[in-house]
Amino acid sequence: MKFIRPLLILIFSTLAFTAGAQENISISGFVRNYTGLLTNEEKDWAILQNTINIVLEQKNEKVAFKVNPYLYHYFDNDFEFGLREAYIDLNFNNFNLRAGKQQIIWGKAEGVFITDIVSPKDLSEFLLRDFEEIRMGVTSLKAGYYYGNSTLEVVWVPVFTPTRMPEESSIWAPELPFPVTPTYDYSTSEVRKSLDNSELFIRFSSMGSKADFEIVGGYFWRDDPALHLTRIIDPVSMQLTGLTARPEYHRMMMTGMSFSMPFGPVIIRGEGSYNSGRYFQTEAQTAPDATIEKDYLYYMAGVDYTLAGIRLSMQYIQEYITNYETGILNDQFETTMTFLARKDFLRERLWLEFFAYAGITHRDALIRPRISYSLADGFDIQAGANIFTGTEGHFGQYNENDMIYMKLKYSF
Amino acid sequence: MKTKTLFLMMTSLSLFAFVPHTMGQLTGSQIMEKVYNNPAGEDTQGSMTMTLTNNRGEQRIRTLSQFIKDDGATEKKIMFFITPADVKNTSFMNWSYSDGRSDDQWIYLPALKRTKRISSDGKNDYFMGSDFTYDDLGDRHPDMDDHKLLREETVEGRACYVVESTPRDGDYMYSKTVTWVMKDNFLGLKREFYDDRNTLLKTLSIQKFDKVDGFWTILETKMHNVQKDHTTVIKFTDVQKNKGIPDSRFTERSMTLGN
Repeated sequence: MKFIRPLLILIFSTLAFTAGAQENISISGFVRNYTGLLTNEEKDWAILQNTINIVLEQKNEKVAFKVNPYLYHYFDNDFEFGLREAYIDLNFNNFNLRAGKQQIIWGKAEGVFITDIVSPKDLSEFLLRDFEEIRMGVTSLKAGYYYGNSTLEVVWVPVFTPTRMPEESSIWAPELPFPVTPTYDYSTSEVRKSLDNSELFIRFSSMGSKADFEIVGGYFWRDDPALHLTRIIDPVSMQLTGLTARPEYHRMMMTGMSFSMPFGPVIIRGEGSYNSGRYFQTEAQTAPDATIEKDYLYYMAGVDYTLAGIRLSMQYIQEYITNYETGILNDQFETTMTFLARKDFLRERLWLEFFAYAGITHRDALIRPRISYSLADGFDIQAGANIFTGTEGHFGQYNENDMIYMKLKYSF
Repeated sequence: MKTKTLFLMMTSLSLFAFVPHTMGQLTGSQIMEKVYNNPAGEDTQGSMTMTLTNNRGEQRIRTLSQFIKDDGATEKKIMFFITPADVKNTSFMNWSYSDGRSDDQWIYLPALKRTKRISSDGKNDYFMGSDFTYDDLGDRHPDMDDHKLLREETVEGRACYVVESTPRDGDYMYSKTVTWVMKDNFLGLKREFYDDRNTLLKTLSIQKFDKVDGFWTILETKMHNVQKDHTTVIKFTDVQKNKGIPDSRFTERSMTLGN
């Protein structure tokens, strides 16, 4: 069974290339080797991965299609094959219909997901994958109506796709905030594939001289499950002796907007959303299953500026839980900042980049310096580091996972 | 706009015939105004190939297609990158305004699937690693410089005005430029760019030009950075003028759909 998928890929690729030669289908993509080493005492390999990513496209006046299969090969001969996108476009004068698996990216924030809620995330390597690989395609029907520089999009997702989380044995498996290791009850962890359980999203966007903006809304399932807990208490000692965690996905509603506008030499960006229907973990004894439903605000303000050829960007991001109650494990305010500095040298052959998430609330950070050199057109060598600081929070929990890496990538 | 273009064409044609005999010498400013106002058509589309050659003779090639539309108040330009492979399907859009407002610019990055507004403050940046800055590729309004007619001379068999332009903005990347303007069509044939130490930095020369759909059009141009001995040759092919590019070509949808 293990070899069936690669065999399918080989057959698929052969057919695709044959089709490409005959039907003038555009073929592009990349091949990449990615080697990462943990800098802890054991010097374990964080990742040894080979990737092939193929994009097949054909565009006619009225119809277009795109198929984007990918294959990850790991050092232990494990393969992961998938379709990042596979859709058909029907294009009319002011109207477009796209059906199939597609990545849908909304909003103006970078590196955080505020109104960008349609495509679920692949967090199997935390936030370290390239962003095009973090976004999973979602099977959906997207209708777009275009008027001048404005667009109205409606997306219907018939089947819910959750966040892809790291395996329990992965170094990227998140810390669970429980005093004892829970046992899991998966009886409610599936969202039934039915019309009633489909998701709906809508966006109006406009681009103009003064500003670009988007207004979005969604009725959907939260991509991460709430963990409803049952505490097992020893009746004699009244001590907690066990926990049962029952993951369950819940419906949410979101409304939000984002904008981007020039202000002299600076680009100002903003994004915000109001979300209802999220369940937070709580220690309050009044919550029998240790969860409580609360609305929350999620917003970002950012600036982009170029100074002496260095592209600088900074974002201030905050989550705020409304009607906060004591016992909720999340802070009422959770603040994060991002910083980016990027400059090219040698006529865009050499790039230096520094990117960092800084968790203000938990005093943790993820720092990502990297250098990239283009040996030839389409062939890049990249070296970098992922450095985690702090002891808690989104980034601090991985403070044993500092790593250095190298990527060789050939685009075709 | 048609009326304006027609007016400009008629004005230019009558000036070509009339000015040298009756008005005597044109001033440097008048010459550069004519260069700037040279009719280019309401819209232009075509392919562009840039060949970058370094001082060791190594070449890198970039290809893209572009569409330009000018309604008199706003010039809209959109470029779709074709090669190299790692930038394929990237698109760049620029709106520039005749009232002097800063340009609006956006870039679409297919990997991120997002159209992003970018600052137009980077006009001094080099375009795709070439010897052309974004400013070199645009139309610099003659009011931004003081112009002086240095002399008239014949270059490659063509009678030219030689005009020196000094920027009014002291922070401009060039201390001055010297332009050879062909007398018969008011196209620039050659331009020298001087750095902030007043030393020759780059030389631009027009290798090929012709009338396309009735408009004088540059079809091949070469920029040589004499200080770094690096050269960029740009060839324009499949050039078409006034084919009625729709406004919908210059939208976010167009950027995401690609060429």
